[in-house]
Amino acid sequence: MMATRTRSPLSQEMIVAAIAALLFMAFFLTQPVFRTTDNLLSLLQNVSILGILGLGMALSIIGRGIDLSIVTVMAMSSAWVLQLANSGLPLGLALLAGLLLSIAVGLVNGALIAFLEVPAIFATLAVATLNYGVVRTALLDDNLVYLKAEVPGWFHAIGGGALFGIPNPVLLFALVCLLLHLFLRYDIAGRFLYAMGENPAAARITGIANRPLTLLQYAICSVIGFGAGMILASTIGSVETRIARSTMVYDVILVAVIGGIGLSGGKGGVRNVIIGTALIGVLLNGMTILNTPYTVQNIIKSVILMLAIVADSILNPRDEQTSQQGDI
Amino acid sequence: MRKLLTTVLAGFLTAAPALAEKPDDGLVFESAAALKGKTVAYLPIAMGFDLTEAWVTGLKKDAETWGYELTIRDPNWSVDAGAQAFAQLIQEQPDVIVVHPPEIQAYARLIQQAERAGIAVVVVSLKASTNADYFIGPDWYDMAVAQTKSVIEMCGKSKGGSGKIAVMQGVLTNPTSQYGIQAIEATVAESGGDIEIVSNQAADWDASKAHAIATTVLQANPDLCGYVGMWDNMDVGIAAAIREAGKQDTVKLVSSGGGNRDSACANIENGNFATYISYDAAAQARDLMMVVRSVLQNPPEEPGAHPVALYTPLRSIDKATMHSGSCWSLDTLQAYGP
Amino acid sequence: MSLRSTLSRLRYRYFPDHILGEILSKTWIDNAIPVAILVLVLAGLGLWDGDLVSLRSLTGMAPQYAETLLVTLGMVFVLLAGGIDLSVGSVFALSNFIVLALFNMLGLPIGVAIAAAILAGGLVGAVNGVLIGYLKLRAFLTTLVTMIIVKSVVDLLLLSFAVRIATPVTTSTFWDFLSFDTVFGIPPSILFAIVCAVVGHIMLTRLRLGWRILAVGGSRRSAYNAGLPVRRTIALTYVMSGMLAAAAGVLYAARLNAAGSDTGVGLEIVAVTAAVVGGNSLGGGRGSVTKAVLGAIIVLVVTNSVVRLGLPAGGNSLALGVILLLAVVIDVKWVKNRGKLLSSVYVSPAWMQLPACPPTAEGSGSPYALNDKLADVQLIGLGEIDGPEDPILDEAGNLYAGTRHGDIIRFHAPDFTTHEVFVHIGGHPLGLTFDRQGNLLACVAGMGVYRITPEREILRLTDQTNRSWLSVIDDSRMRLADDLDVAPDGRIFFSEATIRFDMSDWMVDALEARGNGRIICHDPATGRTRTILPHLRFPNGIAMCRDGQSFLFAETWGCSISRYWFDGPRAGQVEVVVADLPGYPDNINRASDGGYWVALVGMRTPAFDLMLTNPALRKRMVERVAPDEWLFPNMNYGCVIRIDETGRVTDCLWDRTGRNHPMITSMREHRGWLYLGGVSNNRIGRYRIPGADPDWTAAASYRGEAA
Repeated sequence: MMATRTRSPLSQEMIVAAIAALLFMAFFLTQPVFRTTDNLLSLLQNVSILGILGLGMALSIIGRGIDLSIVTVMAMSSAWVLQLANSGLPLGLALLAGLLLSIAVGLVNGALIAFLEVPAIFATLAVATLNYGVVRTALLDDNLVYLKAEVPGWFHAIGGGALFGIPNPVLLFALVCLLLHLFLRYDIAGRFLYAMGENPAAARITGIANRPLTLLQYAICSVIGFGAGMILASTIGSVETRIARSTMVYDVILVAVIGGIGLSGGKGGVRNVIIGTALIGVLLNGMTILNTPYTVQNIIKSVILMLAIVADSILNPRDEQTSQQGDI
Repeated sequence: MRKLLTTVLAGFLTAAPALAEKPDDGLVFESAAALKGKTVAYLPIAMGFDLTEAWVTGLKKDAETWGYELTIRDPNWSVDAGAQAFAQLIQEQPDVIVVHPPEIQAYARLIQQAERAGIAVVVVSLKASTNADYFIGPDWYDMAVAQTKSVIEMCGKSKGGSGKIAVMQGVLTNPTSQYGIQAIEATVAESGGDIEIVSNQAADWDASKAHAIATTVLQANPDLCGYVGMWDNMDVGIAAAIREAGKQDTVKLVSSGGGNRDSACANIENGNFATYISYDAAAQARDLMMVVRSVLQNPPEEPGAHPVALYTPLRSIDKATMHSGSCWSLDTLQAYGP
Repeated sequence: MSLRSTLSRLRYRYFPDHILGEILSKTWIDNAIPVAILVLVLAGLGLWDGDLVSLRSLTGMAPQYAETLLVTLGMVFVLLAGGIDLSVGSVFALSNFIVLALFNMLGLPIGVAIAAAILAGGLVGAVNGVLIGYLKLRAFLTTLVTMIIVKSVVDLLLLSFAVRIATPVTTSTFWDFLSFDTVFGIPPSILFAIVCAVVGHIMLTRLRLGWRILAVGGSRRSAYNAGLPVRRTIALTYVMSGMLAAAAGVLYAARLNAAGSDTGVGLEIVAVTAAVVGGNSLGGGRGSVTKAVLGAIIVLVVTNSVVRLGLPAGGNSLALGVILLLAVVIDVKWVKNRGKLLSSVYVSPAWMQLPACPPTAEGSGSPYALNDKLADVQLIGLGEIDGPEDPILDEAGNLYAGTRHGDIIRFHAPDFTTHEVFVHIGGHPLGLTFDRQGNLLACVAGMGVYRITPEREILRLTDQTNRSWLSVIDDSRMRLADDLDVAPDGRIFFSEATIRFDMSDWMVDALEARGNGRIICHDPATGRTRTILPHLRFPNGIAMCRDGQSFLFAETWGCSISRYWFDGPRAGQVEVVVADLPGYPDNINRASDGGYWVALVGMRTPAFDLMLTNPALRKRMVERVAPDEWLFPNMNYGCVIRIDETGRVTDCLWDRTGRNHPMITSMREHRGWLYLGGVSNNRIGRYRIPGADPDWTAAASYRGEAA
């Protein structure tokens, strides 16, 4: 299956992997601080949230969609969980409420896309705005929600703890990777998702139930976003809902797409997200060690991403006769 | 219509005591009449967070008591929406515009326009490059000097620290950063090598971004001694990173903010912040209330011609100096007024 | 006539049912949705708080609107070509910074500063364009990355210069004019934006570049295969977008004189939202400047109103999200269902009652009585020709016929066993005739009237006529030119069967039975084309009468043949020659006995005749029954008749077995033979006319040398 997709021996995935490895070696050899185990773990920890969100984004893109609401879901549902816990609700129930909220948002996304046939990019954008608006107005008192309530220690351990010296967020990233990989590779719904992403009309004619599948797809995306939010919340002990309005979602898209998941759907998998996350992680970590200002980091990061895309386009040029219409 | 009703109603309520035989002390009726029926507009960066909600409490109370109309415009962190709202307000010609500019420059031209249109302007907290009739807020330079001195006190080589500190800025075009970073650098230079800045980054007021940056900074500088943050809401991210690294005892975080109990005193109690410089937003709320009363009674003949500065006294809080009155809570402020 | 049928007749004569469908088929009707949304939004906000939609409030929005509109215009150009430009917000910020830095900080002349800013925007656009157009990168990803790069560069510059760039070291009257003044109460920025919108509209609708953009966005592959410069076109849209965003940035600089890290953030979302809410489609091909203008107004009115309403934090997002979602859902559903709606309302039957149908039964004594004269016609080009609607012969005896493939085929005299493509025209040639100079004239479906010289040069004679004032459909274009003939002075008279349906749907016109067709005159001497007889029921065959002052024409759905005088004492008069044909007449051509041959393409049926008096029934049928099941007039079986100039039937030819020529659309007499054509036949028939003049040719007849 991979063989039919790869036109050149060097796919974008491999180019990005090579760049990531190259940068890793460069930092490894020149920066003593970079070499330390602690630093490598913190590298992983810093990008694990991004990586988890990237997995959700990858799922939506594979099914020929995009989920611009994933960051909003992350912020708003986790903020609500903290607020509920503060108001005295048992943490378990609060978590359940947050989970249901995120699933509901995912289903709204899916319904808009599947039943009302709104373009995914626009449906999820509107839902992101709506989700922020509804939760902020109706459910939250404040932009910034602190976790004030006494909660069981395991909650803090989600984001703050470590197992065998490895921070929990990293382990959780690995866990989500594994689960998503199993889903995409071995679950029937996962296989169908590729079919739908590759060619929705053909998938539908074949008998695949595109609409329920779309609902499932966006629900899973939202749940992944919620999970990332809870990890973040338990790490910092507060949720700043303004993150919903930030440009973070673009970083998430980049992580997913830079590793070689085609925006036109049906291609790629968990491995691509890991590679994309690795590149971003190495870059950000190395530059922070070099004390590169944040804005310069962004420039360097984007230029490297651009080079990767250009290299891919030169090695695997698009064919005018086979490229898909309306594919942006 | 509803607004009109409430104004009329409020008018009756305030007029009611006057019907009783209240003696005229020569000013009490005159001043009340000067406030009545006026319009005050409040344009913060955004509503819904501790500072802006605190400041407006005084105005809300006064609007009810004295019968002026208070309109609130919430641009929700968008500079452009804020500028547009400001331009609209100028068209609507209120008596006073209270504005909380998101950046040094963004509203500069609009403030001038408002003044030209004969509207008095009060700037809160973040000083714009153009002077308005009143400025209420901290001197950000002094604020950063106080923070830096505090961290030198704890981390200076002469005091037995490693002398290495990191700085986390917010939004770079904000006066906090513009004047703050100059203050920090000047103070560090003054210390004569007693202390050095090993990392200086900006996290755009975002706690999770601050968390990510701080985590790496802590790894890159194992002997880091102090961290200077520029706003409590963002600095909790740094605190979390310090806690995760298990360095709560070795890395001192110096933060600043409006002194809200949840953001300030709670974080000092639990050891997140070593020192906290508060500009006491509750006091500022009272200042604002009074300044607006003053401007309404004595409107500037030529708005902007004679700017008045009311720099907020700063208050340094740490575990030793913290007392029950160090912080305020939004709930009580909203319930009882500033 | 009963009262009921009188009422029905009046109702269907004077109530313009067809207008609705014609309005729906207009391309500008797509704007109806954004206009409706705008009206709803304004009404809703007006009810909430009247001041929100007051003139003062709306004009207060004008400067900001100018910026939003410029960015949206650029975004629409990019979207139309099938891309997306996420970098507009960053370009906006960059341009804002450059103007302020050059003018305020460095004190350069304002003209230089503005030019530099717009150039910088164009450069970023060019980078996008080269990467996406020429290197074929993904638009979304590429502009996402340029957005971050440009934004970071601006942030980096701001870090050093944010305060200094805001304090001007020089002044400029032009800059002050742009910043503070108004022209007749209108800010100069909005005037500039309006000029840009008008230029953009003209480009998209009238200029080559605009058409190319639409072609590339509509189908990139087809555009590429058609030889359009796809890459350059795509690249240019990004340059335009970059320059427009930069121009908006300049206006922002004039308005606020400030640069911050927030400048331009989220503008790409605003622009995409405005474009989509206005009805421009993501993915390309569908959209217009008008839609951009409407979308920008909707988005701006909503966003500003929610700020002004002072909703609780988050309420802004709530309101905006709901309205945007609603707008897009309505738009998506509209686009999807417009075709369905159109097809169910477009066909609008009218009332008609035909005279009693004369009998055709064998032995009935009727002139139309069935016979088997066409039983053994000779077949020409069997299986090698598709749709010879109107075969014709030149003086040398070569046989010409149009085909569905857009060719005119020539069969060589004398035995017609070999043939060649005489010319390729591109549309289906229907009626053919020779003029006095020996040129072949052809009515081509969907294209107009063409002249083909014996040297095979093709010349378009006319493809448009005068536009009638009250027609919703643009009836100046020719949709279905059908048959033609040439007057002695060279004027060409031709029929256009219907202005409401294309060639592929010509039979649907029968369900309407309204006078949708017309006869048009083209004078090659002056080049003028004028409609002379409108509102005919599918006018079809035309044949010049021998007096040189009039012609006969057939109205297919009217089952009648009439005569029209274009010259002489009776000029302008119409006289019905045969009112009650038993079938649907098609082409008319001269016969050697001084009469005229008429092809009846199909025969009337009592059921359909009855249905013509019941328009409501036909309307219901069209709405509820699948097109394959519609009751159409019978087009499977017809005949050829010969009439004299008074309308008396002198001969009738049938193919009783229906084996060779059940359906005949035209016939030509030539040297004693009758050549038979059919618009859906795969052959041409040749029938020996008993007793006909073996030397008679139509050319001789038109020269006046024969009957």
